[in-house]
Amino acid sequence: MIELSGISKTYRRPSGEAVDALIDVSLRIEDGEFVAIVGSSGSGKSTLMNVLGLLDVPSSGSYRLGGQETSGLSPAAQAQWRNKRIGFVFQTFHLLSRTSALENVELPLLYSDRSSFQGLGRKALEAVGLGDRISHRPSELSGGQQQRVAIARALVNEPDLLLADEPTGNLDRRSADEVLAIFQSLNRAGRTIVLVTHDAEVANHCRRIARIEHGRIVQDERVAAAGPALREAL
Amino acid sequence: MNTMRLVAHSAAMMSRHKVRTGFMMVGSFIGVAALTLVISVGQAAKQKMIAMARQVFGEDSIMVMDGGSHMLGAPRNPGTRLKLDDAQAIATEVPGIENWEPQQGLTASVRRGDASVSAQVLGETERYEQVWNRPASRGALFDAAAVKSSARVAIIGETVASQLFKDEDPIGSDLQIGTAPFRVIGVLERWGTDPHGMDRDNEIVVPISTLMRRVTNVDTITGAKFVVARTAKGEEMVKQIRQTLRSRHSLAVGQPDDFSILTASEVRQMMAAVERVLLLYLPMVAAISLLVGGIVSASLMLASINERATEIGLRRAVGARTEDIRLQFLVETAATTVAGGAGGIVLGYVLAQMGATRLHLDGVAPWSAGLLGIAASVLVGLAAGLPPARRAARMSPVDALR
Repeated sequence: MIELSGISKTYRRPSGEAVDALIDVSLRIEDGEFVAIVGSSGSGKSTLMNVLGLLDVPSSGSYRLGGQETSGLSPAAQAQWRNKRIGFVFQTFHLLSRTSALENVELPLLYSDRSSFQGLGRKALEAVGLGDRISHRPSELSGGQQQRVAIARALVNEPDLLLADEPTGNLDRRSADEVLAIFQSLNRAGRTIVLVTHDAEVANHCRRIARIEHGRIVQDERVAAAGPALREAL
Repeated sequence: MNTMRLVAHSAAMMSRHKVRTGFMMVGSFIGVAALTLVISVGQAAKQKMIAMARQVFGEDSIMVMDGGSHMLGAPRNPGTRLKLDDAQAIATEVPGIENWEPQQGLTASVRRGDASVSAQVLGETERYEQVWNRPASRGALFDAAAVKSSARVAIIGETVASQLFKDEDPIGSDLQIGTAPFRVIGVLERWGTDPHGMDRDNEIVVPISTLMRRVTNVDTITGAKFVVARTAKGEEMVKQIRQTLRSRHSLAVGQPDDFSILTASEVRQMMAAVERVLLLYLPMVAAISLLVGGIVSASLMLASINERATEIGLRRAVGARTEDIRLQFLVETAATTVAGGAGGIVLGYVLAQMGATRLHLDGVAPWSAGLLGIAASVLVGLAAGLPPARRAARMSPVDALR
């Protein structure tokens, strides 16, 4: 699914100082994996996320998504890949205010080449257990429910890859558990998920943890598929 | 990419942000209202002015007035020296004059029993109807014999008739102008209000000889109208009239005229000047207010872009191309401006109708003004939408989502 080899990303601060956010990162993620990318703030995990999501272009290195090289894609083609092949979930949900859950979920369809939305938004909301909330606005939903709407939005175009950036960072424990359970069930159904977090406990819900420090991947290991059970034991 | 779908979505988004949308509409609303108002009133005023000028002046005539001022209504010399004989002399000495009519006018109190009104009293001859194009609607105008014999007869305007006689038939009744008694023999055809706001139905026409002898006790006239042949050379005639009058008034070289001459071409020039104000300068002022409205819309939209950065970033993340973002912000700004403009057309039209009623104009033409208003607001909307659309499209999704 994902093949990063020798990816580096150097930013230039307004002061002119160069910052190496990613240094020679190589990472291979197979279809159906559930990977946590763990790191403290400033470690480069957000940059890695942006590169994986085609929101940012690496300074050097090769990124193959689904077997296809991404460097050299035009901005319009990148947008089309984001639309079709990648679903994003953000820490702060990023739902459009004053807009119903259904319309929020349908947003990616708006930018797709589909001629009809018929039933897709409702189906995605039902998949995250919000079939009875389709006409609610974000302000009428709890934080956990809002994040589930955002997950439905990420799923509506049936992407190959789900990218989640601190998806539980703004949620209470209960809602966080709900959201993580959804990710786990999506993964069990075959969806490839990459989740970025600084929270080791959240990472334990995943099946593989890659630790990033100062722009390099320093540790990459598989976790026994015992996330929820481990949680219950605690 | 389905463009219509995106446009519909943008419109729906705007309707959910009523305050921002409302503020953005205000500018084009006021600007287009002003534009519609001044253009419709200007058009109607121009038409009225042309109709009036034709009615008062006819196609080919020259007016001579007492006093040396050059324009209607400007201050006049205290002693007026224009006499009936002067007008008579012009009519006989200057070739090309087909008809002429002297006039002595004053504002006087007109009474009947206890009722009294202040009206414009005009001393005229039997040629009044021909020269001024104004017949009697009831009764009759006086003839040459009445002028010769200084008959005490009067033809009254509709305003005078309704104020002094209510529903009675005024013909055959008596009234007093100053202290002199007159018999009403006719009612003038209704005229309306002139461009100076004077009610031209608040007039009384009497034989000029009677007015001089019984009411004013002066032998000077306020002016005379000369109808000239279509083939006549206006400038040449004006020169001859001036010479005739200057020699009759014994004016030395260097002394200014103690009369003024107004020709159809001068009236046309005056009308052109008024038209410039009505149809060019006033609409320009309105257009500037629309421009300011457009700038307000553009800056409100620009300001809202920072606020909406995450929305823009999110849209990019879920697959919006830069073109889609640009289109969305262009549509939002333009649609808001055009919607405000449409409201402005309605307001402008209502105000124009109210103004027209007050100014006694008719035939306010809303369609040309409305079309212009729509075109202007579309243009302003697109221009106002471009800078915000550019800025929104340029935002990097990574920065926008941070």
